[in-house]
Amino acid sequence: MSAELSLEALLEHPDTGGLTVLHGTSAVWTQAVVEIGEDALPAEVDDGLAVLIDPAPGASWQVDALLRRVHDRGFTGIALTGEAPGPGSRALAERLGLTLLHTDHPTRLARACWQLLEARDALALWMVQRIARSIEYRADDLGDLLRHINANVGHGIALIDQEGILQGAGEPIPESLLKQITFDRWLDIAESPDGLVASVPVESRTRQALRVALHGKDASTAYRNALSTAVEVVMPMVAARLLIDEVEAVSDASRSSGLLGDLLESGGNVDAELEQRMKARGWRTNGYHVGFRIVGRGRLDPLELLRLVSSLLIRIPVDSHATTRGGGVTGWLTFPEPPSPAVVAARVRDLHELHRSAQASFTVATGVGSLASGPTGLSATLGEARDAARLAADSARSGWFVHVDSLGLEQLLLAWTGGDTFASAAASLLAPLSEVERQTLAAYLDEESSIVATAERLGLHRNTVSTRVQRIQGLVGIDLHDPEARLALQLACRVVL
Amino acid sequence: MALPSSPGQRHPPPPGTRPACTYAGRVPLALQRDDLESLARGFAMLGAGGAGSPHLSALVLENSATWPITVHSPAELDPDRPCIAVGYGGSTFLLEEQLPGLDPFGPAIRAIERWLGVEDAVICSIEAAGINGLANLQLAGSRDLVDADCMGRALPDFDQLSVLVDGLPGIVAAASAGPGGVAVVEGARPRDVERVIRTAIECNGGWAGTAFGGFTVGDLHAHAMTGTVARALAIGRASADAIRADLPALADSLGGRLLGTGRVIDARHERTAPGVVSFEVQADDGAVLRLVARSELVALVRNGVVVAATPTIIVALDATTMAVLEVDQVAVGKDLVLLSLPAPAWWLASPSRRRQAEAIHWGIEGLEETG
Repeated sequence: MSAELSLEALLEHPDTGGLTVLHGTSAVWTQAVVEIGEDALPAEVDDGLAVLIDPAPGASWQVDALLRRVHDRGFTGIALTGEAPGPGSRALAERLGLTLLHTDHPTRLARACWQLLEARDALALWMVQRIARSIEYRADDLGDLLRHINANVGHGIALIDQEGILQGAGEPIPESLLKQITFDRWLDIAESPDGLVASVPVESRTRQALRVALHGKDASTAYRNALSTAVEVVMPMVAARLLIDEVEAVSDASRSSGLLGDLLESGGNVDAELEQRMKARGWRTNGYHVGFRIVGRGRLDPLELLRLVSSLLIRIPVDSHATTRGGGVTGWLTFPEPPSPAVVAARVRDLHELHRSAQASFTVATGVGSLASGPTGLSATLGEARDAARLAADSARSGWFVHVDSLGLEQLLLAWTGGDTFASAAASLLAPLSEVERQTLAAYLDEESSIVATAERLGLHRNTVSTRVQRIQGLVGIDLHDPEARLALQLACRVVL
Repeated sequence: MALPSSPGQRHPPPPGTRPACTYAGRVPLALQRDDLESLARGFAMLGAGGAGSPHLSALVLENSATWPITVHSPAELDPDRPCIAVGYGGSTFLLEEQLPGLDPFGPAIRAIERWLGVEDAVICSIEAAGINGLANLQLAGSRDLVDADCMGRALPDFDQLSVLVDGLPGIVAAASAGPGGVAVVEGARPRDVERVIRTAIECNGGWAGTAFGGFTVGDLHAHAMTGTVARALAIGRASADAIRADLPALADSLGGRLLGTGRVIDARHERTAPGVVSFEVQADDGAVLRLVARSELVALVRNGVVVAATPTIIVALDATTMAVLEVDQVAVGKDLVLLSLPAPAWWLASPSRRRQAEAIHWGIEGLEETG
């Protein structure tokens, strides 16, 4: 018989009935003999593994004697069941050069030996059956599916691309094997001293050059055949799961986005039905909230952005939610108790950090609202965040990040006027005026259009002021009695002066 | 009380089974006070780790005024003289805490003599080992002593006495059974003798002077071990100057075998064999030794092969002091020299005798000497 059974191959087998090695590191046998008791073993073998079904004798010397007799028959390995032999018997096994194994279920070990030695196709078939069985169990996502498969076949499984492992279950693929995987062929079997990896490509709508890989520590022919068959069977399951996950993500995002829309529309007047739906999602309106919104400064896939933001939000040590809305992502942090200003500041810094991380992959702008409580507050802070985000998208100087703190509207306006668009508009609006005229206009607007107060403030005669105001009105071409126009001019003065 | 008639017909000695012994002359053995140390050491070795330390008996004898002590060869005595074997039974630990009186065997001997209607019986030992090797010698001066015993080594049970193993009719056993009391059992099956005497010992507080009669000096040739006092003396003398450096020579001089040297690295109470402790000894030559013990050292298994087992006498010596160790002195970390002394030939003369002294007697399987 040319086939060989190695200890490594046995240890790699997913069902050896709880095999443990009591003594021995590597061993290779040409046969495995399974018998009820030691008496029934052949009197002489060249080299083999004896698997005994009867429990090992209880007394230490009886175990010693058993090892000795099995060794004298020519066996170089023995698997016992029952009480595990003690250190003395292990020492004896070492002295005799006998590999000493222990299993809780010797018949399962026997089957594993048979599969590895004589029925390699049986091993592949068995593995395929185990993979098929993984389908029976509900998987929440791809990670879940991979865990099921790993638990059933006992081999490490991973979804990989050329950068490395994307997702996996079980023992990770060693670096030495990862390097050897070829991406441009159908079935690839990479080998190294660390074992072997069998991989096939997986089609995905959104990601390129994906492969699913099964790996094992033992590279004997039996495993080579079994793993390459198994990985081909696994592939469609993984591909289907990837697709399902993508569809589920889209539909989930659209549901939560709709809910957020309803919340914002309600303006904080959350009715029972809306509250129920929010509860179902784990959104709490009680407590204290800080809203944020991240928008694209160009075209982006909000779903991709949401995926990234959700993964980053996990790092912020407070309850958080996020969903897509329009061309961006809206979310909020919730504190059950009123947080101190320092805590709020720290969380806003976290959001700033999140913004910077997101910048690495997307061109985004982030707005953060102020702290507010209850359902109305949630709606308000989300509104602030929306406005702040709009401002941030126009504010390279602030690093595309604007936070509306407790100063509220005033700061919001100031921040807005600090925007690049407004700054240039303000400059062109006041362009016709000299520096003195601008200062006079600013004082006049600040003093609520009072000539007398303006004259006092600037230390001028009121006639001088009156003349200047008329002149300014002519130059700018704006009716200073129009409140909107007055506001625009006042803001422009703030920006330019 | 009607006294029983004289002992019944005796078995003739089986042809060719006359036990070999190192001393079988027709001259008495004259033991000197200077021999006491060698004797004690010899009996300790024959104790195979059990039978108690001869120390206590040696202390009693040392102060005895009867030196030199004469021990007769069975051949030089009238074969029809009644003989009584004496010895302590029970716990040798308790014996050292609750010391025996001046006449520990008197009540049992007198009860047997009364029962059998004999007097002036010759005294021998029940087991020529440990504390009992020397115990009968304290009767020197008041009784004739004969160089014989009923075990030839240490064994724990009364039903392992040679006269009971051979099924001699009319054996009478007696033991002190509490203050002033004495239990006598006659003609019972060996296992019942064991039970009754054991019970008497319990009544007496954990140990008792016991005596076994109902046989004659002539019976000793076929149904007992003879010459064991001489054997103990020879062993004690040969090993008196034993040194670690020349262990094979020591084994040779004792007529035994060197089984191995090594350190005890583990001791385990065997779950499947109650009362059995096995010591794992890492031999200096790398072998895995298992020293299996009950109240005595029962067997030595070397690399899975039984190399010595009771009735072969296994002796554990402290490798540093060369002192003979009792089972309870063997402990993890101790360095041992392990020797075997040949089993008394009497035990090996027939399979049925041998079986009574093998481990299977206590239900311990897998410890028969092979080859």
